[in-house]
Amino acid sequence: MKGRHEDENLKWIPFLILLVFILPFILRGVTFSYRYYLFILNIAGIYIILTVGLDLLSGFTGLISLGHAAFLAIGAYTSAILVDQAGVPFGVSMLITPLITGLFGIVIGFPALRISGMYLALTTMGFGFIVRRLIIALRQWTEGASGLEVSAPQLFGFAFRNDWHNYFLIYFFVIVSVVLARRIVKSKLGRAFMAIRDSEQAAQAAGISLSRYKLVSFFISAVFAGFAGVLFAHTSKLITTDHFDLLLSIKFLIFALVGGIGSIYGVVLGTLTIVLLEYLFIPIFKDWLLTMLPIEAGDIQALIFGLIMFLFIIFQPTGLYGMWLKMRIYWKLFPFNPKKRFT
Amino acid sequence: MKLKTGLVTLLAVGLFLGCARREPTPGVTDTEILIGNIQDLSGPMKELGLILPHGSNLYFNYINEKGGVHGRKIRMLVEDHQYNPQKTVAAAKKLIEQDRIFCFYQVIGTSPCEALRPTLEEYEIPLVAPATQSGTMSDRSRKAWKYIFHTDTGYDKQANILVDYALEENPDAKIGVIYQDDDYGANVLKGIAEAEERHGIVIQKEGYQRGATDFAGQVMNLLKGSATHVIIGGVVKEPIITMKTAAAMNYSPQFLGISPTMDHRVALAAGPAGEGFIAANFAALWNSDVEGAKLYRELFDKSGTDPKLRGMYDFYGFITAVVLVEGLERAGKRLTRERLIEGLESIKDWDAMGVFPPFSYGRNDRSAAESVFLVQVQEGKQAPITDWIE
Amino acid sequence: MAELNVKNLHMHFAGVIALNGISFSVKDGEIFSLVGPNGSGKTTLFNCINGFNRPQKGEIHYNRTDLLSRAPHQIIKLGISRTFQNLQNIPYMTVLDNVLLGDHSKISNRETVTRWFSRRQREREEASALDVLDFLGLANYEQKYLSGQPYGIQKLVEIARALVVKPKLILIDEPAAGMNDQETMEIAKIISEIRDDLGITVLVVEHDMSLVMSISDRVCVLDSGNVLALGIPEEVREHPDVIRAFLGEEAHA
Repeated sequence: MKGRHEDENLKWIPFLILLVFILPFILRGVTFSYRYYLFILNIAGIYIILTVGLDLLSGFTGLISLGHAAFLAIGAYTSAILVDQAGVPFGVSMLITPLITGLFGIVIGFPALRISGMYLALTTMGFGFIVRRLIIALRQWTEGASGLEVSAPQLFGFAFRNDWHNYFLIYFFVIVSVVLARRIVKSKLGRAFMAIRDSEQAAQAAGISLSRYKLVSFFISAVFAGFAGVLFAHTSKLITTDHFDLLLSIKFLIFALVGGIGSIYGVVLGTLTIVLLEYLFIPIFKDWLLTMLPIEAGDIQALIFGLIMFLFIIFQPTGLYGMWLKMRIYWKLFPFNPKKRFT
Repeated sequence: MKLKTGLVTLLAVGLFLGCARREPTPGVTDTEILIGNIQDLSGPMKELGLILPHGSNLYFNYINEKGGVHGRKIRMLVEDHQYNPQKTVAAAKKLIEQDRIFCFYQVIGTSPCEALRPTLEEYEIPLVAPATQSGTMSDRSRKAWKYIFHTDTGYDKQANILVDYALEENPDAKIGVIYQDDDYGANVLKGIAEAEERHGIVIQKEGYQRGATDFAGQVMNLLKGSATHVIIGGVVKEPIITMKTAAAMNYSPQFLGISPTMDHRVALAAGPAGEGFIAANFAALWNSDVEGAKLYRELFDKSGTDPKLRGMYDFYGFITAVVLVEGLERAGKRLTRERLIEGLESIKDWDAMGVFPPFSYGRNDRSAAESVFLVQVQEGKQAPITDWIE
Repeated sequence: MAELNVKNLHMHFAGVIALNGISFSVKDGEIFSLVGPNGSGKTTLFNCINGFNRPQKGEIHYNRTDLLSRAPHQIIKLGISRTFQNLQNIPYMTVLDNVLLGDHSKISNRETVTRWFSRRQREREEASALDVLDFLGLANYEQKYLSGQPYGIQKLVEIARALVVKPKLILIDEPAAGMNDQETMEIAKIISEIRDDLGITVLVVEHDMSLVMSISDRVCVLDSGNVLALGIPEEVREHPDVIRAFLGEEAHA
């Protein structure tokens, strides 16, 4: 029975985790502006937690959502209000807030029992608008549209004051989330999600209640988003409704698509790639690009993103992760007629 | 022995100097001051993203040609935030950590500026002249208030002034307000609530969603409430559509607008419906006769740029640059961030070449202008009808 | 005595009659075949038993339990599992996971959580699936992804998924469709073994007459939603209506 049930690519995971934790020290060693890089990695980390949850819903269960920025907002505002106005400790809020967000997930899941595809996308998009209006309307707690100040995270008496501290907090939970998501995917739950995505009949014949598992999927996805929201609020220290617009929900889907929707490692890779591209490489290479191309500064990002989406959907629907898997097979088999395995 | 004592002394002095020598202020060299500006270059306000820095650079170039501020030339870096608060913070961290700027200048938008507060506090870096008229910018109950020097008269104060004006014109005026239900509208409503309390009146409030293009419902309600004066907290298209809708209903109250409606396009597009429209203005008009406006026109003509850029927003970029340069002058030769703050705080009753109403900052005062003057559309042209009123 | 009773089943879709008063019963431990030309209502009948379709009239009982009042996902808990004519596998899961999917109803939620931490629990969960794979001769495939596997393998995985819960009754929909002669013979052997070795009652829908005649205890011939003939294979083969309905044309040719 040796190795029969183990995932073969588990071997490099400890090294990756080690790398995650020594990366800030490397950055600090090689560059003065390491805090800027850490800030961007922190954004990516928070988005990874959310996108992993989105992947469980959209990638594995096949239910599209354009409302995940709203779940992020619910998590962020709930935690900010719980911690700063109700006096709940940050650590406790980290447990409660995702569950509250999860309940909102279930509420949004109900329409999904009847509709799918484009209609579900529109419904979840509408949910995003409603949440935004709700935050503005609940001025008393959220300070409306003018932005809510949030306290820094505090755990066991330790205050996470800057991007350096936040990095370790965020990436600890990134690893937890990825491991958890992998576990979910490889369990009965994950199989049920995939069965619902690929064949509702097979799912039902196997004893899977479609409505129950669709709601569970929405719940889990919203829990991940709510957790990301907690980290978002307390590390950003100031949240406004403009943080959580429709564009962000669309971006989350782009992260997943580029990385390879339906694969946990894929969406991690996709999120990291796009966030680094958007926040780091485009700002840094913007001037250089401008000398090469006859376009306006503002159009660069739209152009690059459009191009990436287009190329991935046409040529690489399995995303970056699919690309990596193919490459691995290629080198394993090299030089024995590797082309054949590419189909 | 002597040599040994000498060496030890030298070492001690060296150590002492080494410790005492403070880290030089980022962004300041003997010849240059580097400042960071974050604009919207590819989002919903990207037209302004080009115009505002152009206006600022007109003045910076003028100062640099004259030899700079205390011998240092001003160089401005512009980053893009796409009107996204998250990106604003990222751009700010890039400017601070990588480009090592001295201070922030004129970041556009209320929510981007608000999102910047934690960063300003963490790095103790000032933000001079944020490009928004939201009164929250000078609110001392908010984080990092110490580092933000707001130049413009807040929307809340403007709303107060407009209510006062309406009541002065007609003590029996029934006032209504149309507001946008976001941070802008929230600030307008704050001023309206203050005015209600001061005068002991009730003002009819009609909200609309940002981006709305139909105001028939709001106008209808105001007509039912028989408001004689209507304050419009819109931008450009909102006052135009509102006034045209009212005209179509044969309803003609006196319309008054908060400063964003002070755009010449309102007078142009509203046509006869917009005749008599009064808008609040927190800075002198670019084509007026004050010293600052004259200098602006002169420099603009000399620069040979496309005349299409010339106008209210370009001029706005220009006059906020005047404020920053004044602060840098007052900070003195040994420029640090604290000294810039002190320099700006020392501004008393200064009018920036006649462009602003005379204003003061102070140790606990971060709002500059507290007055506006009103501009009325007369025969399709905007004409000032009042002096600065508080 | 476990028994599947179908009584006077009527089902029509927007005017098209799929089932027109079908009655039969399947006894415990037999291999019962439903045959008939395309559109004779075989799969519709399966879908009725399985809860996917709701007949307008009639009754289906299994061990005196009314199946028509159950939701599709509850049927498997009664010990009835099924395969599909057009493959309903999950292509981006491994063969093992596909089989484990069939075991869904047997794995408790608590086990799901302990499985995240306990390797032994994981192995226990997988043991029954591996047994089934061994039984079907798929022992080397369990870690392979299903997409890209040959059709014959996918068919067997479909059967494995239905077998893993250890059902009392299995519904097999066209097992030999698209298979060559050798594969068909293998399928015939497997179906016999399912009954003989595992003691599972088999209800099978099939086109291939030689397969049906060789393995079935009893055969029911359907045509346009009616029962044409019902009995042991030899009887049915000789039945004049059957010969006319679909052996006939072949015989005259």
